[in-house]
Amino acid sequence: MSDYILELKDVVKTFGGVTALNGVHFQLKKGEIHALMGENGAGKSTFIKVITGVHQPDSGVMLLEDEKITLRSTADSAKLGIAAIYQHVTAFPDLSVTENIFMGQEIKNKIGLYDWKTMTKRAKELIEPLSQEIDVNKPMGTLSVAQQQLVEIAKALSRDARILIMDEPTASLTRTECEQLYQIAERLRDEGVSIIFITHKFEDMYRLASRVTVFRDSQYIGSWDVDKISNQKLIAEMVGRELSQMYPEKTAKIGEVVLEVNNISKEGYFKNISFNVRRGEILALTGLVGAGRTEVCQTIYGIMNPDSGSIKLKGKEVKIGSPVDALAHGIGLLPEDRQIQGLVNELPIYQNVSSAVMKKFTKNGIILQQEEEEKNAIELCQKIQLKAKDISAPPSSLSGGNQQKVVFAKLLSCDLKVLILDEPTKGIDVGAKYSIYEIMNELAASGYAIIMVSSEMPEVLGMADRIVVMKSGRVTGEFESEGTTQEMILEASLKHKEEREDN
Amino acid sequence: MSGETKVPVRDLAVKEKFKLSKFLVKWEMILIYILVLINIVLIVAKPGLYFTNGTIQSIIQSGMDLSPLVLGMIFILMLGDIDVSVASTMIVASMATGLSMDAGLPMFLCVVLGLIAGAACGAFNGYLVAYIKMPAVIVTISTSMLFRGIVKIIMDVNVLKNFPSFYTQLAWTNIAGIPVSLIIFLLISVVFMLILHRSTFGRKLYIIGNNPTVATYSGINVEKTKMIVFILMGFMAGVASIFFVGRMGGGVSSTMGTGYELDAIAICVLGGVSTNGGKGKVYGPVIGTLIMAFLIYTLGLMNVDANSRKILTGFILIIAVLIPNVNKQLVAAIKLKLFYANNKNIEAVNIKAAEEIKNYRDMITAAKKDAKMSESDKAAKVKKYEEKIVSVKAKCKEQTAVLKSELKEDARKAKQRFSN
Amino acid sequence: MKEQKTSVFKKITGNRNFGLLVGFVVLLIVAAIITPSMYSMNSIMNMLRNNAVYALLAVGSMMVIITGGIDLSVASTLSLAGVICSSLMSSNMEVPTFVWVLLGLGIGIVCGAFNGFLVGYLKMVPIIATLGTMYIFRGFAFLASGGKWWFPHQFTEGYANFAGGRFLGIYNILWIVIIVFILAGIFLGYTAPGRRIYAIGTNKESAQVAGIKEAKVTFLAFVISGALAGLSGMLYTANYSICYYGMGESYEMTAIAICILGGVSITGGKGKIDGVIIGFLMMSVITYFISLLPGLSVWQDAIQGAIIIVAVAINIFTERAVEKRVLKERGALI
Repeated sequence: MSDYILELKDVVKTFGGVTALNGVHFQLKKGEIHALMGENGAGKSTFIKVITGVHQPDSGVMLLEDEKITLRSTADSAKLGIAAIYQHVTAFPDLSVTENIFMGQEIKNKIGLYDWKTMTKRAKELIEPLSQEIDVNKPMGTLSVAQQQLVEIAKALSRDARILIMDEPTASLTRTECEQLYQIAERLRDEGVSIIFITHKFEDMYRLASRVTVFRDSQYIGSWDVDKISNQKLIAEMVGRELSQMYPEKTAKIGEVVLEVNNISKEGYFKNISFNVRRGEILALTGLVGAGRTEVCQTIYGIMNPDSGSIKLKGKEVKIGSPVDALAHGIGLLPEDRQIQGLVNELPIYQNVSSAVMKKFTKNGIILQQEEEEKNAIELCQKIQLKAKDISAPPSSLSGGNQQKVVFAKLLSCDLKVLILDEPTKGIDVGAKYSIYEIMNELAASGYAIIMVSSEMPEVLGMADRIVVMKSGRVTGEFESEGTTQEMILEASLKHKEEREDN
Repeated sequence: MSGETKVPVRDLAVKEKFKLSKFLVKWEMILIYILVLINIVLIVAKPGLYFTNGTIQSIIQSGMDLSPLVLGMIFILMLGDIDVSVASTMIVASMATGLSMDAGLPMFLCVVLGLIAGAACGAFNGYLVAYIKMPAVIVTISTSMLFRGIVKIIMDVNVLKNFPSFYTQLAWTNIAGIPVSLIIFLLISVVFMLILHRSTFGRKLYIIGNNPTVATYSGINVEKTKMIVFILMGFMAGVASIFFVGRMGGGVSSTMGTGYELDAIAICVLGGVSTNGGKGKVYGPVIGTLIMAFLIYTLGLMNVDANSRKILTGFILIIAVLIPNVNKQLVAAIKLKLFYANNKNIEAVNIKAAEEIKNYRDMITAAKKDAKMSESDKAAKVKKYEEKIVSVKAKCKEQTAVLKSELKEDARKAKQRFSN
Repeated sequence: MKEQKTSVFKKITGNRNFGLLVGFVVLLIVAAIITPSMYSMNSIMNMLRNNAVYALLAVGSMMVIITGGIDLSVASTLSLAGVICSSLMSSNMEVPTFVWVLLGLGIGIVCGAFNGFLVGYLKMVPIIATLGTMYIFRGFAFLASGGKWWFPHQFTEGYANFAGGRFLGIYNILWIVIIVFILAGIFLGYTAPGRRIYAIGTNKESAQVAGIKEAKVTFLAFVISGALAGLSGMLYTANYSICYYGMGESYEMTAIAICILGGVSITGGKGKIDGVIIGFLMMSVITYFISLLPGLSVWQDAIQGAIIIVAVAINIFTERAVEKRVLKERGALI
């Protein structure tokens, strides 16, 4: 008998025509914390869903203590003691904490009705060691993300989990909250629970894990003991290339200030944010997920309106009430989620490209001229080397990187001065990333002022001229990229509240 | 890895050319076949009546009071919204015209007032949906009661009988054998086609209907666009009131026209407009309007009463919604479930075998056509391929059986394990 | 312990139903001042009896609305079940009444199952599916009735008594309503399928991860809605001893209005039986009040339409206020 509690071999899972897992392997030892790493879209989330029985694999073998198992649903995996805490907390916001904990394994009384009293009592017992501040009768939606995560852990514990999967649990936690979580994870490990810890942060891995497995592009890359692999090599395995060749040379000349943001605040999202960006410059806006970066960008673009503060464009104060205003002022946004915010998958590429400036392609301001639209789209898409069947293909037929290029082409059709790029390389494979970076550099060189939101530290250091770091809705640091290290940025993005109170 | 940088410039120009085979199976063409089929049935069933002067015209005229509602509804559905208050709005518009006629206002003004009343009702719906962001279903359900309720309050059980005389003429006269109402319908349809298929406004509707968030991010004023569409819908209900009153012979009471909203929605859906928004063209519903008119007339001839016809309308609505869901993917999914025991390995084995068999079949036909080969060679070759087909089939069957038994074993074990 | 007491008080005043209750009391007082005759035991009983069918339809609609759907076909189901029960009953008078009750329920279940199949398994948009079946069922009701009416003398005493008889001084139909309210409360609050209905209305994706079969639960909600509509069809004919295919037209609107008044969220996931009970009582008083004032009966439709709009608007604005408060609380942390 081997010492693995869970083994997966050659697991394949496809959705429609998309391969989400392409023959991946995984081995989990009893009582270890095993880090699973890989870029966005590497297939980690699907992998968990296969282990927990949400998805059934198309083929492949899953062994639990050397015995082949077939999971038909999450109920099956729960019975075997497999529990997962998902990345996007998969709670029922309108239902109470108690009900969320017991969903699917409710305590019933003799005649088969829910025994709320016992459940509430049990829920309290489960939550108390984790946090004293959670009221189990409150709806889940009223808790903070960190609290919701604790509830999910309590839920896993209530099921006597032997295998616990945590999907990026620290992504939006403060440092204190992270430390709390680490301790809970260690305690569970010592009690004999095997933990799969999915994370983007090397900090998490070094602090907790004894072994690490890397996925890339839906494929298994390898497994290593954490103390036997160098940071450099691990990154190279994750991204599939050496860091040094990740970023193209910069050629842009930096000019005068184009956009200036002064002390803007929005209740519940961010407070007193100020920065500026110059012609030809790439300014990175970084920090942890949930720090308020996206909201700042959306405010500049007019999706949200600030409570106070002002925005100046070329020295003149402008009022931006909606994206219509923003585009008229020459500010464009490449949104974070291209599927939901950037592309209409049902319409052909050229219509997507012209969607933000339809007026430009009309005869008299009303009737669209398809030839003009196509000509413009072809010209732009050739410039950014879009790979597509033709210009009337739907964006859904393209790869992630090429989809992003369509959104770029859409922005470039407009007459813009400022480009805000929210996570421009999210979920894009490595080769395509490089060409997105090239496009960004070319745009900077041709005089655009670029604000880039990014969570990926190497990307920030490799691409930006200046770096603004945010933490919990505030700016906590600003750096010239020359001479700045990952550690300096990390420190700023994890700054404690107490420290900030001083300034 | 950065090999992508040196690719030559790609030709992205649209290559797909017009294909007759594809055009002939387009949904709009299928609708035309249906229309022709109904006509053939009518001719066969009642040849005498069909060729009588005026029959066709009156069939078409009977469907035209709905047509403005259909056109307006296309835009509403395009947004992904719905408007079930159109029948009530139509009655409000009729009432506005009728009351102002009673008050002795000039005819032209009365007509305009009717149209304005319709547009105002639409604006009320639009404001609640676009700006307050209430669900269109609930808003229009309640306003359908509210609008008709207001008509009931004002008119009680009275019947308005004083309408512009051209209303009835519009509904019942022909020019050169063509119904005036049809001509007007086609003219307005052309305008709607231009708006939806060629103008920036139409493009905005497609974008909003498919993805309102993208529309906002693309600098489209979603609220304003929705508002305009609802006002337009109300206005078209006002236009519909002209034909409606005409067809009713110039009298209107508060309970008339119920169910028109269902007919309008059903025709749109039949015409290929998706209720999820963002899909469809104007052509389909235009043909659909005619189909409905002929269908209802035919049923009338067969002594099917008005209430039972509603059953048919209901089924048309449901079936028309379901048809677009029947596609290759669904068929594949059903096959997977029924024949391949929900296992992709089995599916893959079978698909591969099917491909091989098809290959051999092609080779057989190629061999049979080959003039250079002697008959005996041909026969030998064909036989060889046929044997191969048999062996592939057998192999596939065998593999499937093995996989299925494995699957069964797994399922049994799972059942055993989890049954407690 | 002290802390808990204040929180209980807060809970009561902060509850949406509290506001609803206050509104209800105000309504009662206003109605009493204008039409004092309203408050005799007898008239209250009659008021509730005449609205009882709405209560049953509302409970059914509530289930569907909580899943995030809508059921427009309940009134047609009512009519179909009523017509079939009455027509069979009038020619088979010897058959005991409970058979007709079961038949009504059965017809409702079949109708509901058809809706549930379209929405749950074929993934049709609920409004379109039930708009279609609303006409289909009504059409079948016409076919079943042949356009005929049934009048009081055609109903057996047992049949009519099933709704109009009294037990402990209260009409039987009201007992049925009370039982349905209690059962619905238990079902929604204390059983797995009931809670699943909330779960899929709250977050479909989470429900999938939790292993909840969305199609099955949606199907169930529509079946319950249909069953209650079928039952109310039988009760309607028994209650009024009258039956024709056009009966109960636009009752689905009233049912939806009651739900929305009672705080059932039209986007799904939220709503409780006590809210629906209060919504039902309010609607009863309003309709009764209207019927008492001479000349007001033509106002019924308009008022009901306006009520739904106002109730939805109130729901939306309270939800926004809550969101704002959450943001404010979060803002304090920044």
